[in-house]
Amino acid sequence: MIKQLKLLICLALTLSSCNLFSQAKKPTLMVVPSDVWCIERGYYLTFNNQGTPIRIPDYKRAFQENSQVNQVISQINGLMAERGFPLKNMETVIRSLQMDSAEDNMRSSKTSGSNINESSIDALKKVAKADIIIQLTWSLNKVGPKKSVNFNLQGLDAYTNKQIATANGTGAPSFSAELPVLLSEAVIAHMDNFTAGLQDHFDDMFINGREIIVRIQTWEDWNEDLESEFNGEELGYLIEDWLTDNTVKGRFSTTDMTESMALFEQVRIPVLNNSGRAIDARRYLRDLSKYLSNSPYNIPNKLVMKGLGRATLILGGK
Amino acid sequence: MKTTQKTLIILVFLLVGMQSYGQRKQRLADKDTKAWHYDIECVGTGKEGFKLIKVWSYSKKPKYAITQSWKNAVHGIIFKGFSGTGRSCTGFRPLINKSMNQKQYDAFFKNFFLDSGQYSQFVTDAADGSIDPRDVLKVGKKMYKIGVVVNVNVSQLRKLLEEEGIINGLTTGF
Repeated sequence: MIKQLKLLICLALTLSSCNLFSQAKKPTLMVVPSDVWCIERGYYLTFNNQGTPIRIPDYKRAFQENSQVNQVISQINGLMAERGFPLKNMETVIRSLQMDSAEDNMRSSKTSGSNINESSIDALKKVAKADIIIQLTWSLNKVGPKKSVNFNLQGLDAYTNKQIATANGTGAPSFSAELPVLLSEAVIAHMDNFTAGLQDHFDDMFINGREIIVRIQTWEDWNEDLESEFNGEELGYLIEDWLTDNTVKGRFSTTDMTESMALFEQVRIPVLNNSGRAIDARRYLRDLSKYLSNSPYNIPNKLVMKGLGRATLILGGK
Repeated sequence: MKTTQKTLIILVFLLVGMQSYGQRKQRLADKDTKAWHYDIECVGTGKEGFKLIKVWSYSKKPKYAITQSWKNAVHGIIFKGFSGTGRSCTGFRPLINKSMNQKQYDAFFKNFFLDSGQYSQFVTDAADGSIDPRDVLKVGKKMYKIGVVVNVNVSQLRKLLEEEGIINGLTTGF
């Protein structure tokens, strides 16, 4: 009897611990004014790229000088928070990045006087980022005294670059309403459709797995390449076989494969692993990293990540 | 004395008969709702979290079409949705996003759509119950089509359905 009781308690504990980990990794979302919106209103910086002028959006100026963009983003943030999905606020993210950077520059070790260790890659990665970017565009149409707003929201997966949700349209024309009122109406009118699209994307993710991008690269000084044979099979094919065995329903596309690199897109990875833990691209690719570094292949490799949905394995060393 | 007794009995029978006749009509109207025998169209952009819609209900008696319009409105937001009417109105997808069998439907919605059910908490008349005479149409020999403009609190309705596990929320699974 006592044995059975113990067994039951063990089972309950195991089940509850599984439950504890059975939540998928929640993506972060951020509303970003689109390039076209920024450039049309003059919020951009110009660089000379070997004779070609390049214009890039100046988000900081847009947030400081345009009150309407704050109003729209705040309203979208409010509606998303109500649905249990608070968004990252781009203006605050930019501010805290600058603050962090200033603090890092000033910080030094109390014992050795050493500065914070930051590689050039680390510096490059210090930008406002989110897993899903909500790109916002609007324009005001005027026909005589009549005004209307053309509104466009695009939900873009930051890793696969796929559009996963959208809502757009032109509001009813008005003689008297001001722009903030028209914008507010547009947000209210379009957010339900936008969140419905987002819901579809999440539902699909739970059924068919999270879609990620996997890149395989090689160090220059590595003596082997993706065409090298291991146990009579080329390494490129071995990696493809591993992906087939470890993706949801074997789904992935080999977009590029050369002797030195491979690119796999639409790789559908399970949201949770066998032990019920949530996984992302990095955790998923760690298994491939181990598979290749172990016998019989013994290929040392370095795993590099980019958010939830993109990871790169560089073969031939750490 | 006997005459009074007889009159009383007849009166009771009449009252019971009238009541059951009324209930039968209401049941038939409920059946129409369940069979999605109504149309919904968007009227305009409502307040945040609300939908301003016109529900066209069908009934042999205009009275039942009017009382049924609240049920139809909530039912429509959950199960039917509506298409947009162009620039002033955007379309709306129904709240239901999970498949459901009859048993599951009955378990929650049978009580929800009772006359005294919870559905009435999520809908209000937009025009204080008054109906535009142009929205009372006779569409058959004994059939009326009545249009009533109502406000549905979609935000609260969605929250309730998410809490009850009837629909998936945006954060379900995370």
